[in-house]
Amino acid sequence: MKRKKSTTIFIHLFLIISVILVSFPIIYAFMVSTLNINEVYSSPPKLQFGDNMLNNYREAWQRSNMGKLLFNSAFISVVTAVGKIILSVSAAFAFVYFGDFPGKNILFILILITHMLPLPIRIVPTYQLMDNLGWLDTYYALTIPFFASATGVLLFRQFYMTVPESLLEASLIDGITPLRFLWSILIPLSKSNIVALFTIEFIWVWNQYLWPLVTTNSAQVRVVQIGLKMLIPSDAQPEWNVIMAALIIGVIPPLLVYLTLQKSLVEGFAMQQDK
Amino acid sequence: MNSKFAKKYRYLAYLLIAPSIIIVTTFLIYPSAQSLYLSFFRSTPFGNRQIFVGIENFQRLLTSPAYWNSLTRSLVFTAITVFISISSALILAVVTNKKIKGAKIYKSLLIWPFAFSFAFAGIIWGVLLHPNVGIMSYYIKLLTTLDFNWINNGTAAFTLIIIASSWRMLGYNFIFFIAALQNVSPELLEAADIDGASPVTKFWKITFPLISPITFFLLIMNTLQVFFLTFGVVDVLTQGGPARATDIVTYKLFRDAFLSMRTGYASAQSIILFVFVAIITIIQFKYAGEKVFYQ
Amino acid sequence: MLRKTIIILTLVTLFAFSAAMVSAQTIELEFWHAMSGGRTAAVERIVDGFNEEHPDIHVTAQFTGSYAETLTQGISAVRSGNPPHIIQVYEVGTQTMLDSEAIVPVYEIAEGEIDFGSVIQPILNYYSVDGNLYSMPFNSSTAMLYYNKDAFAEAGIMEAPDTWTDVEEMGLKIIESGAANHGLSFGWPAWILEQMHAYHNVPYANNINGREGRASEVYLDKRFAKMVLESWTDLVEKDVIAYGGREYSANQDFLAGEVAMLIQSTSSLSSIIESADFEVGTTFLPRFEGYGIGNSVIGGASLWVMQGHSDEEYKAVVEFFKYLSRTDVTIQWHKDTGYFPSTNAAVKTLMDNRWFSDHPNYLTAFLQILSGVQSPAANGVLLGNFVEIRDIVDTAVEEAFTGVSSAEDALNKADVQADSVLQDYTELFGN
Repeated sequence: MKRKKSTTIFIHLFLIISVILVSFPIIYAFMVSTLNINEVYSSPPKLQFGDNMLNNYREAWQRSNMGKLLFNSAFISVVTAVGKIILSVSAAFAFVYFGDFPGKNILFILILITHMLPLPIRIVPTYQLMDNLGWLDTYYALTIPFFASATGVLLFRQFYMTVPESLLEASLIDGITPLRFLWSILIPLSKSNIVALFTIEFIWVWNQYLWPLVTTNSAQVRVVQIGLKMLIPSDAQPEWNVIMAALIIGVIPPLLVYLTLQKSLVEGFAMQQDK
Repeated sequence: MNSKFAKKYRYLAYLLIAPSIIIVTTFLIYPSAQSLYLSFFRSTPFGNRQIFVGIENFQRLLTSPAYWNSLTRSLVFTAITVFISISSALILAVVTNKKIKGAKIYKSLLIWPFAFSFAFAGIIWGVLLHPNVGIMSYYIKLLTTLDFNWINNGTAAFTLIIIASSWRMLGYNFIFFIAALQNVSPELLEAADIDGASPVTKFWKITFPLISPITFFLLIMNTLQVFFLTFGVVDVLTQGGPARATDIVTYKLFRDAFLSMRTGYASAQSIILFVFVAIITIIQFKYAGEKVFYQ
Repeated sequence: MLRKTIIILTLVTLFAFSAAMVSAQTIELEFWHAMSGGRTAAVERIVDGFNEEHPDIHVTAQFTGSYAETLTQGISAVRSGNPPHIIQVYEVGTQTMLDSEAIVPVYEIAEGEIDFGSVIQPILNYYSVDGNLYSMPFNSSTAMLYYNKDAFAEAGIMEAPDTWTDVEEMGLKIIESGAANHGLSFGWPAWILEQMHAYHNVPYANNINGREGRASEVYLDKRFAKMVLESWTDLVEKDVIAYGGREYSANQDFLAGEVAMLIQSTSSLSSIIESADFEVGTTFLPRFEGYGIGNSVIGGASLWVMQGHSDEEYKAVVEFFKYLSRTDVTIQWHKDTGYFPSTNAAVKTLMDNRWFSDHPNYLTAFLQILSGVQSPAANGVLLGNFVEIRDIVDTAVEEAFTGVSSAEDALNKADVQADSVLQDYTELFGN
């Protein structure tokens, strides 16, 4: 028993150190966001909270036009996540519940192929395509090309295949139409899968960097990631306190989405694990 | 599955799949084929002149020391980052999964790097280790007299992007491991305890076999993500330098495509990256089959 | 019945309004620039002033990222058939713009409207090809040496460095006295190497620096280039030079007191004076003894007019350019940023108002470019795909400084790469 107690203490110690190591950068970023500029550049560097927090956040908000940045990022993240969910739910449904229709395998493989074509593999032509469509510097470029998702289709397909067959049989006897079955029976069942996909996709789109960097230009569609990069001047001493303030603001939305949906996310993935 | 909707609804199946197929062919397959086409040309920045050069772009790439530097650095960078982030996430997940007080608090405090983008992670670590203002570089110098200057030292810069990327990936992997470990039944582990199994034996004999599919899945996903998405870290911090020490393939591709505007040369790089992805995919299918996708 | 009337009335009013708006429509000009930080405000100030004076024209200034990013954005806008009216392009993009088939040469639309004769000679030379001005000089700068007077005093040094030998001696003294950890740092390494060539009247590329026909060969493998990089590398090994990054990040080392000297663009002058907590001195670029005398080269950017707009709009563009070259506007721009006042009249006014005698640091670069010798080698080099060549040379400098390879090997390698870039470019465009 004695040995066990010392192990527990050791575990706690280990975890506390790990938590400090992992969280320190974030706490430090927050600390910097409360300092004034002289404190930022003082030597030795300060490890403390300052009293310039309000000023920094106000300055960050105004200078980066943060309201617009947050709106743009949130808008494209929600639209893309929802678009992906709708398209993958419907495709997965078609693949599972309609038997072996001609071309099924080919279509399935076409969707799987998206896995093999990450953006850098097609960035130049996709950029030119956006250009030809007149989509550069618009929300279209940031959302529509990302609506298809192999992960999503596979996630829902796998889930539907585990839904008891009796459910469909019973519904067929009642003479249910396919869309009705999808809407009122399958979708409610796959709630935690939907939430899991939403969380992952929302955060993924929010944090996208390369694509907005090359396709957007004006403040009208600029997203948080790019707005933050623009706060770092190349020709002067960066005001790290203001930049960190903007960074903290910019990370709150994905953090909130994650914290709110955390439970369903873990469930959504754990459920997949069972099979 | 035996029961299905009647044949008269077949049109509906096509209708439901159509949107995905349209997106995939328009924005993924067609541009990828176009990459291959463009890789045989050389064109001017404004696109007003274009000449066919055959496989010259590929020849040049494969004989260019700068490109080999870029490829090797990316592979080493990816391997180290994936190893660090998966192994540390696994250890932390196993430890926090034990029945201890405050496990929940520990878990939530270990996950949050996941919400940060690679660019944000880069900015934070860049400041922490900044040669002039960074608190970490200051203490490193004080304690070891080592000057961690990522602006003029290639090794330091390379280390910096590994640290920032590993930190970000740690949160991602931790989430998946936590989810996977929920399936390891506590009863089984308790039974092993009674048998007097050591923690290490328990891990290798019980836990690991159960979570090895997810580990493999993460290995693949991490490799692709680190290889392709760490662009943000490099762009906000080092822009490939100093002396190309952090010139990872995606950054080089971006520079050639969008700064030097050599679209043909850049497209040839895209095709080489495709070969890399294809190899990963083959490994994936060979060792895990379709199963990996289901996670 | 009543509802119908209301609808009709509303429609009529709407039409009337939109008609009124059309008739009073102002000419909209889009102006994309790369002036970040404090310089954004300086641009806004100019644009606001212009818009106020010209109710019929409305210029919108849009910050589009770094120089390289702005050029990329401009190119994609041209390709998608929707270019802005004016794009600010850095000197490195000059050849790309000339070959773009997408620009309207400034001399064609502004002939007789703007007196280009009043533009200061070295600036005019840089942006002219075959005697014609293709783009509107806007923010011109050159490189000079900044030094920390307090650190110099602490090390017991009374004068500013003239030569690289001085830089070495003073640097060692400064390190020894503990006044700073290193002697000197600089930004834009490839540009400084170009500066050294022009400053000592040595050509950087063939065909008279690419000004009499396309350059097909750079002179990185020649003795002068190697001498420069070897001397620098030697100073790096002696800890006198601390490499400070590719663009402006060396400013931070200077401001933080890490180094006591900084070679940087004159455009940093206002921001350095403002943020330094020590006395800032400036002087000419250091020379290598025993080499010829040329001139320091003009850097910065100019404004290019893009095709695809109406004559009316081009007239408005000329109005805007006229405003830019007005004495008071030029002076304000100079004071806000440190860029050169680009006309002789502006310089005269500044002198009359004792600006230079009260702020001698603003005079340094000026004297430097005016005291040099005008020659083809000192007019600055024009290269195809210069953006990439800069990157190649920056890398070579970094390789030598970080010990990846010797200065000689690094330059030989860079020379081969740069020549192949030039060859590609020539193959695409002919001649």
